[in-house]
Amino acid sequence: MGVTVQKFYEAAQKTLSLEVVSGGEHMERTIPEQALNRPGLALAGFFQYFAHRRIQVIGLAENTYLKSLSEKDRTDRVRKMFEKHIPCVVITRNRTAYPEFIDMCTEFRVPILKTPMITSHFINGATITMERLASPRMRMQGTMLDIQGIGVLIEGEPGIGKSETALALIERGHSLVADDITVIRRDYTGVVMASAVDITRYHMEIRGLGIIHVPSIFGVASMRDEKRLDLIVRLQRPGPDWDVDRTGLAPKMRDVMDVRIPYILIPVAPGRDMANVVEVAALNQKLKHLGHDAAKELDEKLVHKLSGGGLE
Amino acid sequence: MKKVQDSSIAGERSVTGEFEILNQYGIHARPAALFVKTASKFSCEILVEKEDTIVSGKSIMGLLTLEGSKGSTLKITARGTDAEEALEALRTLMENKFYED
Repeated sequence: MGVTVQKFYEAAQKTLSLEVVSGGEHMERTIPEQALNRPGLALAGFFQYFAHRRIQVIGLAENTYLKSLSEKDRTDRVRKMFEKHIPCVVITRNRTAYPEFIDMCTEFRVPILKTPMITSHFINGATITMERLASPRMRMQGTMLDIQGIGVLIEGEPGIGKSETALALIERGHSLVADDITVIRRDYTGVVMASAVDITRYHMEIRGLGIIHVPSIFGVASMRDEKRLDLIVRLQRPGPDWDVDRTGLAPKMRDVMDVRIPYILIPVAPGRDMANVVEVAALNQKLKHLGHDAAKELDEKLVHKLSGGGLE
Repeated sequence: MKKVQDSSIAGERSVTGEFEILNQYGIHARPAALFVKTASKFSCEILVEKEDTIVSGKSIMGLLTLEGSKGSTLKITARGTDAEEALEALRTLMENKFYED
């Protein structure tokens, strides 16, 4: 995955108060590994297993250690570190970069950034940012909602009523994540997260009304920035040859970025309250998460009774 | 603006064309709405692609997320019985700068 220093900087500039110290023209360098590294051992001269493909963080300890070195040793070690093609250096606690760093940054074309944060806080924040940037992502055509803690993606052909269904659900107090275009990413734990595209976030397009700003109408509680994808619901006009699950005993699954997500087809018909059906689908999914499967339990009860109420 | 491909997969017509965005402000709300309005007149599936992002040509929100500015190129693919007519209508729209400026 090609996360550039520029991308990292843009994503983390505000939250991590980043500033470019030097090498602003080399921000297009890619960061091959998403973890961060404190190059203490490397600066001490031990370069075996040096994680050179990561962002190098110079904290208080590294800085103090560099101070203790003679100028010759310091130049030598810093040069050696830069020679390993590191992607970028971040100096924490707003320390001033040693002139050796500035020289090497020019020679090896590596950007140097700084932050006023203390190292541990910076590393925590930067790890989360890098994780987000590096995780694989794609876009799905569909409207994403958080219904009582269950992340539901509503799919369907254009004009089937996805946005209208979402609107009715928002009116009932559920929150919108994204209208029509949903960004999906899989994080390192294998969870699929959904969010909106920045430019259209908080907006919906409703036929006949045009574009609306959801939190202005329904309040801030009506929006959610990110939600795990738990269920995909497809609204569809019933055709002659499609089989709708009438019992709920054979739940369908869909692969989204290699993660199995429960998938429900819901027939759309005039007069059918889609919002209500989708809401109940989400709540039923929540019940399944809690270990209750109504269809299965009823069927087991039936089988038990029909087989004479005997053994099982 | 040319580079039109024709192919038919399993008897389904599929045509693709690449078009440069010519109007000054790119694909903002009004052109997006016009695009969707035109695309929705046809029954075929219409996909619009820009830099690896593909959205439905019948979705306003989708087109807005492409952030298509003047000078960038949209690759439009139409699949279905009226694919050629649809692509032609969209080409006309784009070549006429969405009737703005």
